Amino acid sequence: MNSKKIIILAFILVALVQIYVPAKVILDRAIVLSSGKEFKFKTAPIDPSDPFRGKYITLNFNENTIETQKKEGWVNGETINVLLETDDKGFAKIKSVSKSKPVSNQDFLKAKVRFVTYDGSKLTIDFPFDRFYMEESKAYDAELTYRRALPDTSQVAYALVNIKNGESVLKDVMINGISIREIVKQDQQNRK
Amino acid sequence: MSLPKDISELVRAAVISQETADKINDYYRSKGGHASNRLFIVFGIFGALLVGLGIILLVAHNWDDLSRATKLFFAFLPLLTGQVLCGFVLIKKQDSITGRESATVFLFLSVGACISLVTQIYNIPGDLSSFLLTWMLLCLPLIYIMRSSIASLLYLTGITYYACETSYGFYESSESYLYWLLLLAALPYYYLLYRKKPESNFMIFHNWLIPLSVIITLGTVAKDAGELMYIAYFSLFGLLYLVGNSTFFKRQKLRNNGYKILGSLGTIALLLILSFDWFWHDLRNNDLHFNKVITSPEFFASLIISLLGLGIFYFQQKNKSPKEIEPIVLVSLLFIITFIIGLSSLVSVVLINFFVFTIGILTILDGAKNEHLGILNYGLLIIVALAICRFFDTDLSFVIRGILFVSVGIGFFATNYWMIKKRKTNE
Repeated sequence: MNSKKIIILAFILVALVQIYVPAKVILDRAIVLSSGKEFKFKTAPIDPSDPFRGKYITLNFNENTIETQKKEGWVNGETINVLLETDDKGFAKIKSVSKSKPVSNQDFLKAKVRFVTYDGSKLTIDFPFDRFYMEESKAYDAELTYRRALPDTSQVAYALVNIKNGESVLKDVMINGISIREIVKQDQQNRK
Repeated sequence: MSLPKDISELVRAAVISQETADKINDYYRSKGGHASNRLFIVFGIFGALLVGLGIILLVAHNWDDLSRATKLFFAFLPLLTGQVLCGFVLIKKQDSITGRESATVFLFLSVGACISLVTQIYNIPGDLSSFLLTWMLLCLPLIYIMRSSIASLLYLTGITYYACETSYGFYESSESYLYWLLLLAALPYYYLLYRKKPESNFMIFHNWLIPLSVIITLGTVAKDAGELMYIAYFSLFGLLYLVGNSTFFKRQKLRNNGYKILGSLGTIALLLILSFDWFWHDLRNNDLHFNKVITSPEFFASLIISLLGLGIFYFQQKNKSPKEIEPIVLVSLLFIITFIIGLSSLVSVVLINFFVFTIGILTILDGAKNEHLGILNYGLLIIVALAICRFFDTDLSFVIRGILFVSVGIGFFATNYWMIKKRKTNE
């Protein structure tokens, strides 16, 4: 009887951990969403899929490289802190990168080094929000919509991201200020 | 032919007494368990598997029109349902295998669905491998708490997928040594299964899945000294073959012995690959620096597996004559020497071809001795495969190749005909 109690206790513990892990993720994101600062990253979306999580669009960011004078020995794949600023048109720009956490009250973002040039002077950065999940029927259309908008230079696509203490949450992908979900929905209705 | 019918026929013919017949019936009833019970287990598991997978697919649709809160509610609904089901089974129906296995399958899959949905809702990129790792770690305890074989099988599949996704994927630099720890964590259950239900179907599935998982994942340790992986794999296949030859597995049917079959097929496949000159050509031209090789992960992998294999070999061979050494095992030992010779000489290619040929012939003889058509034809197939490989080498003349093929083909007919005829005369 005693061993049965231990097993049930262990099961309850496991069940709680199974709930805690996703719940913690939700909580962390909720904080960033409610009190983080909003940034706009210029981007280009394309459409692949994941066997468990479905269709999403991958975001290719325009401003993802930086020239750095400091020879800090960057390694491909390492996590670094990216300090951000906003340009005169309101889009996010990389101000500088560092291995240590910024002390002052600056806006920064934890990201990974995708590629370092041989002499270590130019970094390409992988932002931690390059996936935007969409309903399966819409992901491909979203890419088409974007491509149609491409030749027209007045059209701007960007990702809306909230950032707080290095953590980030991707909220939406916009083309000319309208959510890509809305645009695709309207396109699909127009075709019917 | 069914057993009950045969027995009643034997009783009618007065070959066995009614008492013996009852004893035989009792024996088979206690041994086989109830067939209907087994059917329930299968249906229970399949039902839960389908429902669980269905939920994952529904999740993957990404419902745009639902609000974030609604989506989160649906993320946790299957998880909580699964947990309640498992809890109920633990408290009320601990002894029902059907209940335990199907509730666990459902919970296992809902954990995956829940994490998927949460990462989806917040657009967390988190690559597939870290997703799989979290999922498997959260479900590992279920194997032991629910004593669930299906959970163990799903877990083994999951960690293999994880290791492949991590190491064979885009970022080649990432390593998956964690896999070996994860595998170790599942082995105590395998041992329990071996002690308690050595003849069960679940045990047989494990006997196939575990060696298969190791074979698939071993390649992930490869880095710069990839040539050494051939030694690691040869030793691994030899090791698997030895395990398959242990007294426990020898009692089992051949088709349930994943270790032996995979060990044998793997060795032959490797030998056939190495029977071409290109590998040895590359090996001779490649500067393998001793210092670099000796610290490479490939070297350690080869060393560990070879030592393990030698250990098992020693214990199995202790009380036997050297004549009883299986050719496959011998080749995996000899390969290390062949490899070293190959660093400087051409002889290795000839040796490898000789090995394949010898194994083929010995297998044919073995099949003939034991009157086993399967083994006999396996030996013939090895020879045929060798012949086909040589067919692609352009330096043999067409005449020689033609004669080779004709003689192997005649060999096929002759041996099978001889064997079937021999069987008939014995009958």
